[in-house]
Amino acid sequence: MARKRGRGMAACWYGIARTATVDRAAAWAEIDDGGSAKIVTGVTEIGEGILTVLAQIAAHEMGLKPEDVVIGDNDTARAPEAAHAGATRQTYMIGNVVALASREARAKLVQVMATMWDVDPVTIRTENGFVFAENTNHKISMGKAVEHCKQRGVVPVGSATFGTDTTGLDGADGSGRPWQAYVFGCQVAEVEVDTVTGEVQVLGVWAAHDVGRAVNPKGVEGQIEGGIVQALGQALMEDYQLQDGHTTTPGFAKYILPTSLDVPQINSIIVEDPDPIGPLGVKGIGEPAMVPTIPAIMNAIYDAVGVRITSLPATPEKVLMAIRAKDREHAQAAE
Amino acid sequence: MLTCDEYLTPATLADAFAAMAAHRGRYRIVAGATDTLPWAREGRAGDVHIPVLIDVAKIPELNERHVDERRVRLGAATAIQRFLDDAALARALPALPRCAVWFADDQIRAQATIGGNIVNASPAADVNPCLIAHEAVVEIVSASGKRTLPLHDFLLGPGKTALKEGELLTAIECDALPGYGGSFEKVGHRRSLVISLACLAFSVRLDADGRVIEDARIGLAGVCPVPVRLRSVEGFLRGKKLSEELLEEAADMPLDLVQSRTRQEYRRDILRGFMMRGLITAAKRAGADPAVLSSELEAAYV
Amino acid sequence: MSDLAFSAIVNGRKISRTAKPSQRLLDFIRDDLNLTGNKEGCGAGECGTCSVFVDGVLMKSCLLPVAKVQGARIDTIESLAKTGELSVLQKAFHKAGASQCGYCIPGMVMAATAALRINPFADREEIKERLGGNICRCTGYQKIFDAVELARDVQNGHLPVTMLDGIDAEQGDYIGKNVSRIDAPSKVSGRLKYAGDMLMPDMLHVHVLRSPHAHAKILSIDTSAAEAMEGVEGVITCADVPGEDGFGVFVHDQPVMARDKVRYVGEAVAAVAAEDPVLARQAAAAIKVVYEPLPALFNAEDALKPGAPVIHDYAPDNVTKHIPIRVGDVEKGFAESDLVIEEHYDTQAIEHAYLEPEAGLAYVDHDGVVVVISPSQNITHHRHMLAKIIAKPIAKVRFIMSPVGGGFGGKEDMIYQGMLALLAMKTGRPVRLVFTREESIASTAKRHPSKTTLRMGFMRDGRIRAVAFKMISDGGAYGLSTEGVMRKAAILGAGPYVIPNLQMDTIGVYTNNTPSGAFRSFGALQTQFATETHLDIACERLGLDPFEIRRINMMRDGATTHTKQKLKSVSIGRVLDAAEKASGWEKGVSGQRYGRGDLGGEGLRPAVALGARFAADTKQEAAE
Repeated sequence: MARKRGRGMAACWYGIARTATVDRAAAWAEIDDGGSAKIVTGVTEIGEGILTVLAQIAAHEMGLKPEDVVIGDNDTARAPEAAHAGATRQTYMIGNVVALASREARAKLVQVMATMWDVDPVTIRTENGFVFAENTNHKISMGKAVEHCKQRGVVPVGSATFGTDTTGLDGADGSGRPWQAYVFGCQVAEVEVDTVTGEVQVLGVWAAHDVGRAVNPKGVEGQIEGGIVQALGQALMEDYQLQDGHTTTPGFAKYILPTSLDVPQINSIIVEDPDPIGPLGVKGIGEPAMVPTIPAIMNAIYDAVGVRITSLPATPEKVLMAIRAKDREHAQAAE
Repeated sequence: MLTCDEYLTPATLADAFAAMAAHRGRYRIVAGATDTLPWAREGRAGDVHIPVLIDVAKIPELNERHVDERRVRLGAATAIQRFLDDAALARALPALPRCAVWFADDQIRAQATIGGNIVNASPAADVNPCLIAHEAVVEIVSASGKRTLPLHDFLLGPGKTALKEGELLTAIECDALPGYGGSFEKVGHRRSLVISLACLAFSVRLDADGRVIEDARIGLAGVCPVPVRLRSVEGFLRGKKLSEELLEEAADMPLDLVQSRTRQEYRRDILRGFMMRGLITAAKRAGADPAVLSSELEAAYV
Repeated sequence: MSDLAFSAIVNGRKISRTAKPSQRLLDFIRDDLNLTGNKEGCGAGECGTCSVFVDGVLMKSCLLPVAKVQGARIDTIESLAKTGELSVLQKAFHKAGASQCGYCIPGMVMAATAALRINPFADREEIKERLGGNICRCTGYQKIFDAVELARDVQNGHLPVTMLDGIDAEQGDYIGKNVSRIDAPSKVSGRLKYAGDMLMPDMLHVHVLRSPHAHAKILSIDTSAAEAMEGVEGVITCADVPGEDGFGVFVHDQPVMARDKVRYVGEAVAAVAAEDPVLARQAAAAIKVVYEPLPALFNAEDALKPGAPVIHDYAPDNVTKHIPIRVGDVEKGFAESDLVIEEHYDTQAIEHAYLEPEAGLAYVDHDGVVVVISPSQNITHHRHMLAKIIAKPIAKVRFIMSPVGGGFGGKEDMIYQGMLALLAMKTGRPVRLVFTREESIASTAKRHPSKTTLRMGFMRDGRIRAVAFKMISDGGAYGLSTEGVMRKAAILGAGPYVIPNLQMDTIGVYTNNTPSGAFRSFGALQTQFATETHLDIACERLGLDPFEIRRINMMRDGATTHTKQKLKSVSIGRVLDAAEKASGWEKGVSGQRYGRGDLGGEGLRPAVALGARFAADTKQEAAE
């Protein structure tokens, strides 16, 4: 057979948020006129979907719809510090702190309504833009509730801060608490190796990742899919090359990226093992998504054609030459 | 960055020659322009200033297309995409759609021209091995007259052609091979927007029973300075009964043609595999008898 | 230079303008018409962010001289939702979650529109083929394919239009729901402005002069010829830095522009602000820098040799950071092992290749606050560093994070914002810098390449007894995130396994290569590649299934990590079970699993043979 198939797997683990240092983030929340909400925190979308995640969290916590949440842009002079967009920390750090700030804003509104309706605040519920008290006929729109608050001199705002209980590493033996949340993942890859050209096509990847709690499952899948394809690029084709310090891969004609024709079908399985520390149980997915992909592919290549590629990337030439070397060894062993 | 003082778009050949004469030594001809702009960037030529760019893509003579049962005539500004969307061309040049679908992407193919691809004389140009196998002849026109040259004589080496100052490549003529089965084999590092490490074009005609090779045309590129036609292999195959052994023997024939200093072992290795794969695929498309060309045989090589 | 009288029908409106003869169609629509929906991702026809329709045919506008499309009908991304209502395809992109950073999306939407115009019934494989000229770096393409299939089926009446609607949640519980991305409409329509799309009145354009040497002393910099050029409003070098000149994520070892010497090819040496980008380029070329080349280091092993040239005075051994982790006694562990396997692993440098090249604007506001707008992934830290560099209180420095067209860690470094601030201060005018793709590739950080020696000792039953892991990594010319990458590599590299004896060393080294920096998966990717491959080798030697060896060794609830941290819940067992079950994995020893039945089932794409469109033709012919 000219084309041979194989499967491989690999597992991974990863730490959430900044490493071996105390991480922290803050947010402000306000339930605004008309029953909308403003969230201000030091975050801007880098593509991962954080704005949508924060809108979902704020809507969930305050009883609004996500489309009613406005998120202030990241501006060091206008927003509280939420630190950087990286380290798989956005959902964990900013998501949790937005939940806390939203809860505080909601509590102010609920207190006003409880007094007005003369009910226990714990019986008040806020859902989808409405405020009501359980087992009563009291039900008004969130916009009306904000009006009541303001007539009583209350602006329903909240602020919060969220920090991690973490430490640096000991300089001699590395001991320490680098993170307070860990995630785990496992991927299986199926490849087809063309033994005429050495080309490897990854046809399918099954990716199971613990994300704590998925705020937006489609967004989690998007991170897994994107991570796997970036890792596939490193596994099979990408290679930043230098010659005496000058790059010989100066543009996208030479620096080869995966196209729509190079990618497998990706089958994501979201596993939820909630974080016991943060208020939401969320963890993260951005970086761990790409950690097991490369070894899963390399192990699959071995399964298919019996060659171990230990030096990346596994280009067609490298794979084919390894197959031929193996064949020669077998032939010699047979003699 | 490419800068120029003037960008001319002559409407006729005469206008083009007049512009070339007026700006002698200061101009560059562009057709599709898909390689000229990326060329003038960091990592390649860097910032380039060319006083006059003369764009010949809209000249009517360069946009002719004539196809009959024997010959194909194509203006040099014919876009590569026509090999995919013009059914008459696809029928006459059966390997070319298979080649074109590997060429850059749909968008660049809509702009890039066959003449530009030839004049660039890249050893990895995908279209050339197909055309060479079709006995392509290029038509070269200057203000003072016209000459024709076989394509393999026109291509002199990487980036070098027989085109002289004041001349334009205006058209390509080649054999029409309707009824042939075509195939194209190529390898690069991915499957779209990819430069060939090696490529081979095949056109095969079988007898009515699908058992005897009546004609075979094979062009090879990417492994030597200019594309080559594998005439000895073609001659060896012609008139013989299709069989695995025959193809195996043919596949061994061209290996010494690999001249590229880089990746030579790899290129020789895939060349042999491509010979088998390309011949089997082309024969299948030419209507090979399934008793001769079994699905097991196909799976073993394709 | 003779300008062109250019006219065309753009998005249905006739326009007549003068254009410069060497302008590309992309420049014309973005700069002259301010239609910034289509982007410049590479400038070389390799990415598709600039794809537009020319007389109904999709083309890459960065490859088209504007004169080539004289009189043509041109439709940009802005043409698709002209009335404000998104097209079916745009709605499908929104619904399917097909946009992430959004920078490739206008071009991708155009390519998808073209695909469905050419073949309204295109199947998934043909769709992939027709999108082959458009690169996306975020999504892995899956949701893009989903979106195009959804739009196709709605357009063809196979699915109801309501499939494009958003979701409503019962009882207001929006956590765990596929709420459509709130930023998607602005991205699929091209309305979102990235930094390179933003304009300010009276804005100047910046170009950076970069080092052609990997390691050289700077003997002199003469900017006089550049400064004398009409239209050049400011030229800066390291001499213009008023404060502490250094930035970096962990050590501030990199000056805003090279000071006294250059340490890599592409390092910023000087910068120019001028009235137009071409002039800024020409002025930068007129700056005369005299260099004295120094011996350079191009790999980490050479850099560690005694007597090697020193790249930074503070690090005479060229070591940026060494992170050790020690558990138990590895030599004793190997002695106790039944099987010891040693192997070497190499990983290469990788470019982030976000589709949005670096870009930014800066100005000084009415209160004297220096404002920088850029797609920075870490404005909090950048603000602290810039305040020191320009010697101003933190409250006089303001960073605004513009939408990020892909980051992946590559936009955590403050490699150009300092120059923007200095030029805004020097000229008193707003300034903008937009990197070319080549500039972005040559001058910004890469994923750390690594060389690893891994030795693992196993008991016959598969238990890991000892691990000795040493990774040497080329950090390039500056520190950036090397320290953090080495730390994460060390903590995570040995994997989520119980290892009684562990010796882990990760060493980041200075060389004169392009700096390595933060990149998604940050050291964990390089090291776990080695460990996870090694376990597969062990499986073959020990006769174990790859899932089995991991279950034998995995950490469990309450485990202690390699850094002696006690974990509460450990989910590795759950993810192993989930992946094994979903993939229909058939048990067997690694490398000896031939002839089994778990291949070729559900969850795969067909192998690409190119020519899905020919198959479609055949089907159509058959139907006719």
